[in-house]
Amino acid sequence: MTDRFAYPQDREKRNAARVRALEALLIEKGVITDQTVDKVMQTFATEMGPFNGAKLVARAWVDDAFKALLVTDTMAAVTQLGLPTGAAGAEGEHMRAVANTPDVHNLIICTLCSCYPWPVLGLPPYWYKDPSFRARAAREPRSVLREFGLEVEPSKEIRTWDSSAQIRWFVVPERPDGTQGMSEDELAALVTPETMMGVAIALPKAA
Amino acid sequence: MQTSFEHFALASMMGQADAPPKANGSLCFHQSWERQAFGLAVALARDGHFEWEEFRQALIAEITAWEASHARDDPEWDYYECWLDALERVMRSQVLPGLATADPAGRVMD
Repeated sequence: MTDRFAYPQDREKRNAARVRALEALLIEKGVITDQTVDKVMQTFATEMGPFNGAKLVARAWVDDAFKALLVTDTMAAVTQLGLPTGAAGAEGEHMRAVANTPDVHNLIICTLCSCYPWPVLGLPPYWYKDPSFRARAAREPRSVLREFGLEVEPSKEIRTWDSSAQIRWFVVPERPDGTQGMSEDELAALVTPETMMGVAIALPKAA
Repeated sequence: MQTSFEHFALASMMGQADAPPKANGSLCFHQSWERQAFGLAVALARDGHFEWEEFRQALIAEITAWEASHARDDPEWDYYECWLDALERVMRSQVLPGLATADPAGRVMD
């Protein structure tokens, strides 16, 4: 059975060699350049804080009063940090925050359109616009989150929030353990747009 | 809103049999060759060397073939090995008909 244990490493080496050979051949034939893959992968890169949303979350993590304001009067909290509050001229547009707790995980969807809180989160990720994500997340959030690589404990309730043209929701993720003594800036660097849509949780070290 | 090909490609796999593994909301690659293989397939389809759907069908066929001959919880399951098999297959038929498989040292054998 020794072979069984040796196998995975050989397999990784073999596959790595196959990819290297493919890429080298494609470069040699002028089909791609040595920059091509990196450029493609940049389009999938996750934005890390501090973007506007990350600043809000980091402040909420260090300041309970601010967190309370953020979930009860989100626009007031956003204004307090001096951040933009919405698309110019879009009257009646409001952002609302919901906080994750040990008992509740929140997930933001939009079943009708792509109502994304861009002033706090920037451009929406590709999956947010996908109709199958919206429909399935409303119906079976737990299995959709599993596909996103997020296993939510069975004891936790999952609440889904429907964004609309009037109300754009975002999530205040839980502060990760092991971040005591970190500055607000350091904390903001742990927050991604995915955590604020509820398809990821904040981790103690930036991925 | 404009959607890039890269994002369209990945969105088309969501919730499907060929959806790539994710960890905590993002794509995850355990080895750098997995990332390279992923990026190569997306770039080649984006640049018109083959249709994304054609690659997906090849990938689904590889996954189906694996599942037909292995238990669902077989620890040797490797999504990106299927991806690489599919990529080589589509490249052989579309991009580089003369493509042979690489030997373990990474040299391409003719």
